[in-house]
Amino acid sequence: MMSSAWLIPLLPLAAFLLLVAFGRQLKESSAYIGILATLAAFVLALGTFLERFAAGAENYYFAFQWLTFGNKVIDMGFEVNQLNAMMLVIVTFVSLLVHIYSKGYMHGDERFPVFYSYLALFTFSMLGLVISPNLLQVYIFWELVGVCSFLLVGFYFYKPEARAAAKKAFIVTRIGDVGLFIGISLLFWYVGSFNFSDIFTALQNGAMESWQITLVGILIFIGAVGKSGQFPLHTWLPDAMEGPTPVSALIHAATMVAAGVYLVAVMFPLYQASVDASLVVAYIGGFTAIFAASIGLTQRDIKRVLAYSTVSQLGYMMLALGMASVAGYVAGTFHLMTHAFFKALLFLAAGSVIHAVHTQDIFEMGGLFKKMRVTGTVFLIGCLSIAGIFPFAGYWSKEEILGAVYNKGHLGLFAVGVIAAFFTAFYMFRLFFATFTGEAADDTKKVHESPLVMTVPMILLAILAVVAGFINTPGNPVLGHWLTETMAGAEEAHHAPFWISVVATLVSLLGIFLAWLMYGKKSVSRGAIAEPFPWLYQLSYRKYYIDELYNNVIVRPLRVFGEFLTMVDVYIIDGLVKLVAGFTKELGHAGARVQNGQIQTYGLIAFLGIVLLVIGLTFGRGYLG
Amino acid sequence: MSGQFVAFFILSLLTIGGAVFMISLQKVVHQVVALAFSFLSIAGLYVMLEAEFVAVTQVLVYAGSISILMLFGIMLTRHDAHEDTGRGKFKFLAFIVVAAFFVLVFMGIQTMNIEGTPANFSQQNNVLEIGKLMFSQYVIPFEIMSVLLLVALVGAIILAKREADDK
Amino acid sequence: MTVPLASYLLVALILFCIGLYGALTKRNAVIVLLSMELMLNAVNINLVAFAKFGAFANLTGQIFSLFSITLAAAEVAVGLAILISLYRNRRTVNVDEMDLLKR
Repeated sequence: MMSSAWLIPLLPLAAFLLLVAFGRQLKESSAYIGILATLAAFVLALGTFLERFAAGAENYYFAFQWLTFGNKVIDMGFEVNQLNAMMLVIVTFVSLLVHIYSKGYMHGDERFPVFYSYLALFTFSMLGLVISPNLLQVYIFWELVGVCSFLLVGFYFYKPEARAAAKKAFIVTRIGDVGLFIGISLLFWYVGSFNFSDIFTALQNGAMESWQITLVGILIFIGAVGKSGQFPLHTWLPDAMEGPTPVSALIHAATMVAAGVYLVAVMFPLYQASVDASLVVAYIGGFTAIFAASIGLTQRDIKRVLAYSTVSQLGYMMLALGMASVAGYVAGTFHLMTHAFFKALLFLAAGSVIHAVHTQDIFEMGGLFKKMRVTGTVFLIGCLSIAGIFPFAGYWSKEEILGAVYNKGHLGLFAVGVIAAFFTAFYMFRLFFATFTGEAADDTKKVHESPLVMTVPMILLAILAVVAGFINTPGNPVLGHWLTETMAGAEEAHHAPFWISVVATLVSLLGIFLAWLMYGKKSVSRGAIAEPFPWLYQLSYRKYYIDELYNNVIVRPLRVFGEFLTMVDVYIIDGLVKLVAGFTKELGHAGARVQNGQIQTYGLIAFLGIVLLVIGLTFGRGYLG
Repeated sequence: MSGQFVAFFILSLLTIGGAVFMISLQKVVHQVVALAFSFLSIAGLYVMLEAEFVAVTQVLVYAGSISILMLFGIMLTRHDAHEDTGRGKFKFLAFIVVAAFFVLVFMGIQTMNIEGTPANFSQQNNVLEIGKLMFSQYVIPFEIMSVLLLVALVGAIILAKREADDK
Repeated sequence: MTVPLASYLLVALILFCIGLYGALTKRNAVIVLLSMELMLNAVNINLVAFAKFGAFANLTGQIFSLFSITLAAAEVAVGLAILISLYRNRRTVNVDEMDLLKR
C-alpha cells in the first residue's frame, strides 16, 4: 500500500482532467466522478495510514532524478511518514465528504462541473503537497493550492466582492510565498539539497550556523503565515468566505490553511534547532489566537465568525509548534487533525443553515433548531468540540496545547491561550444561540432540513469530532507515541498538570454560560458589555481596522506610485516613442509635400539642383571668384 | 556714343520691357501682345548681329505665327482673370533660385574672355551663304527637322482632335 | 566700335531669367508656354551673338538658331494641342490644378 501512495494525488488529478474534458456533457453527474476519485483516494490513503500505523513499519521513500546541474541533483518523488500518512487521511476524508456535500449544496448551479473540477484540482494539489519529499516539490504544490484557492474563492466571479476577495487571497498569500521562496532558496544555498532528509542531516551535522537557521526558519514561517492566515497576513481568510460554503469548509478550514501548519510541522527539526525562530512562531501564533478570537466576538456574519475562529485555532497550532518541544509538536499536529474535523463540520453545518435561510447574518436567523434538528445537533457538537468540552475532540487537543505551553514555562502565552479559549467558547455559543434558539427573526420563510447528501457527511464528521480525541488521551497517547517514535527525545514526559484541563474546561464553560445569558436566555442584554465601551466594540467589529490600515499604508501609496509610473509610461516612454514616430511622420509629410504633383515645383527643385551643381563646380574648381 | 549703341540700347530695352510686361500684366491677351513686342525687338537685335535671315525668320515665325497661335489657344480656352493667391512662398523661392542663377551666369559673363576676331558677315550675301551651308553640310539635320515638323503636325492634330465618343 | 558680346549675353541672360521665373511661377499654362518661348529666344540670341563674336565665328550659330526656331514652332504647336486637349477634359488651364503626376 505504501509503495503505491503516489496514486493518491493522481486520482483527483485524473478526475480533474476528466471533468475538464467532459464536464460540459456530464452536467451534474460529474459529481460522481469527483466523489469516486476521492473515495478511491481515501481508501488508498486509509490503507497507507494503517500500514504505516502497524507496529514496526518503516518510512517509505521513492524518488527519481528530475534535474541535474553541476553536482546538484534535484529529485522528484514521494514519501510516506507518520505525519503525512495522517495528513493524507485527513485531506482525503474531508475532501470526500465535501465532494458528497457539494452535490446537494451546489445543486442547480450553472457551473456545477467546473466547481467539481476545481475541487478535484485542489484535492490533487493538497495531496501532492503533503506527499512531497522535498521543499521544491512542496513549493510547486503550495502555489498550485494558492491558485485553486483563487479559483474557488472567485467562483461567484460575477459578484464584485467575490472577485475582490479572490484577488486579495491571491495577493496576500503571495507576500508570504515570497518569504517561503527566499527561505527555500537560502536553504538550498546553505545545504545544497531540497530533500527534507538531507536538510535535517545537515542540521544535525552543524552545517548551518545558528543565525542561518533562524533566518531560514523565519522566512519559511512567513510563507506559513501567509497560507495559514496568521497575523499580519490574516486579512484574506475572512474575505475568502465569499466562496461557496463547501469550499470554505475544505480550503479555508480543514486543509489548505493547514498547509502552513503542516509546513512548520514538517520543518520541525529546523525550529527545534533555533530557539529564536520557534519563539517567533509561538508569539505570532499566540497573538493571532487571541487577536482573531477577539474579532470573532462581534462579527455578525456566520461564516466570518467561523473564519476568525479558524484563524484563531491556527494560531493555537502555531503556538504549540512554536514550543519546539516534542509535546508541542504532538499537540500542534493533533489539534490540526481534530480541528480539521470539527471546523469542516461547522462550516458544512453553516452551509446547511445558509442553504436553508438564504442569509448569513446570525441576527436574522434564530429558532432554527426545531426546524433543522440534524444540522442543529451537529452544529452543537462542533461548538462543544471547538470550545474544548470534555470529552469532545477539541478538549483533548486544546488541553495538550495548553499543557505543552505550560511545561515550557511560557506563562504569558499560557494565559493568552486560556483567554483565547474563553473567547472561542463565547463566540461559538453566541453563534449557536443566535442561530438555533430563540424566536425566528422571520417566520414567513419556509425552512426545512437539508437533503441527505448534505446531512450524512455532517453526521460522519460529527462522530469524528466526538471520538477523534480518544486517539491521543493523556493516559494513552497512541498518536503522540506513533508520531514521535523516530524523533529524538520522544520519551520526554508530556503530561500536563491535571489542573490545566480543569481550568480550560471551566473557562470554556464560563464562556458558554455568558453566551447563554446574553443570547440564549437574554437575561443580560446584548449591549451590556458593548455599551460601556463602544470604541472597544467598534474596534473588534471593524477587525482592529487592519484592512483600513493596509489600505492606507500599503495599498494607497502603492497605487499612487503606480499612477506615477503610469504617468512616466504615458508621458515619458510613450512621449519618446511618439517623438520618434512623429519625427518620421513629419519627415514623410515633408516628402509627400515635395511630391505634390505640381510640375512647377518639380521644375523649381530640379533647377535648384542645377544651380547648386553649377555653384559647386565653378567655385569648387576656382573657375569663378 | 555711336548710333549702334543707341540702337542696341533701345532694342534691348524694348526686349526686356516686353518680357517684363509679359510677366507682370494681368490679362492673357495683353501678355501675348507684350511678348510680340519683345520678339520683334529681338529680330532687331539679330539685324544688329548681321543675321538678316534669322531676323526675318524670327519675325515670321515668332512675331507672326507663334503669337497668333497663342492667341488662338487663348481664345479656345477659358481664362479667369484671378491671379495667384497663396503661392507667395513658392514665388519667393523661385525668385531666389532664379536670382542665384542670374548672379552666377552674370559672373561667368564678366570673367569670360574670348580670343578671336569678330566675323564680318556684311561682306557676303547672308541668305546665300546659309542656303549653301544648309543644303550641304547640314542637310541631314535639315531633313530630320522636316520630319520633326511633320511629326509635330500629326501629333498636334491628333491631340487637339475631338475624340469620337466625346460629345 | 561695336557693341561687345557681353552686352548681348547679358540681355539674353535677363530674358532667360524672366522666362524661367514665368515658367516656374505662372498658373496659366498659356503664359507658361510663352515664358518657355522667351527662354528659347534667349538661347537664340546667344547663338547668333556667338556666330558673330565667337572664337571661331561662322554661320553655324545662325543655322542652329534657325533649327531652334523651327523646333520652337513645333513645340508650341504640340504644346497648345496638349493644352486644348487637357482643357477639354479638365475644364482648366491652371498649371497648379494639373496634378495628375500625383494620382
